[in-house]
Amino acid sequence: MSDDHHHDHGHGHAHDAPPSPHHSSDRSAEQNRVLEEKVARIEALLIEKGLFDKGALDRVIDIYENDLGPMNGARVVAKAWTDPGFKERLLQDGSAAIAELGFGGLQGEHLVVCENTPEVHNLVVCTLCSCYPWPVLGLPPAWYKDAAYRSRVVVDPRGVLADFDTDIADDVEVRVWDSSSEMRYLVLPERPAGTEHLTEDELAQLVHRDAMIGVRKVEPA
Amino acid sequence: MQGHQALPRKSGELVFQANWERRAFAMAVSLAEQGRFDWADFQQALIAAVDEAEGEDPLNPSRGYFESWLVALEAVLAQSDLLEG
Repeated sequence: MSDDHHHDHGHGHAHDAPPSPHHSSDRSAEQNRVLEEKVARIEALLIEKGLFDKGALDRVIDIYENDLGPMNGARVVAKAWTDPGFKERLLQDGSAAIAELGFGGLQGEHLVVCENTPEVHNLVVCTLCSCYPWPVLGLPPAWYKDAAYRSRVVVDPRGVLADFDTDIADDVEVRVWDSSSEMRYLVLPERPAGTEHLTEDELAQLVHRDAMIGVRKVEPA
Repeated sequence: MQGHQALPRKSGELVFQANWERRAFAMAVSLAEQGRFDWADFQQALIAAVDEAEGEDPLNPSRGYFESWLVALEAVLAQSDLLEG
């Protein structure tokens, strides 16, 4: 959508996400080099002090790049759609319910699951920084961390939804949930019509990140 | 260097765009998981760093998100004396 970002296909932001004025792609090679050196210095110092070794950091990176992500949240949603008992537990205590599927850890504490219904549409933001339920969604997309989304979603949630081509009827209440270090939110999207014949695994394939943040709906296959 | 070291997620986005972002992220997580500092303290430092970068003009921050992350990491390292001899 923004002409100034036509050069960075495949990284950064969704084509229709709110524009970001300060993408990491705007850094110069020189700025990146200075930052690489600075971070390497800190890392070397901490390794020298025995606080971790390189392998431990590599394992952390591997987990966040490969194991944590929306595919976990999709499993949670698909199970909630097919298992009423699980859904009840999920809405009562999100952290305990996702632990049943083996998900938990940093930023997974105090997880609150907000259920979309024909009457209510939920939308998640972190107005102060970037709090986000890592165990079920991984790390947040660039636009989630931008002031454009963080400030606007509070004052004009329907406008933000329109930017994502998400049509919410006027008589549907839109609720915005502001994440914090005390509380993180996951949206339980509505199960699309016409998916009654699908298995839990097939349903999980339909569920994507944006639906669990609440900026989009899950569409039928 | 960028763009080839990380696989796009299912969403089509990269988690990290530069290696230093990856290392700075992992250092904060690793130290918090070891209990070297409270994650809540890091988050407060991150909130302060983001706020400082956004200043009067949030839509034109003075630095990017991971630059603020690094500022927060340095702040908690200083607070917890982890870099002291």
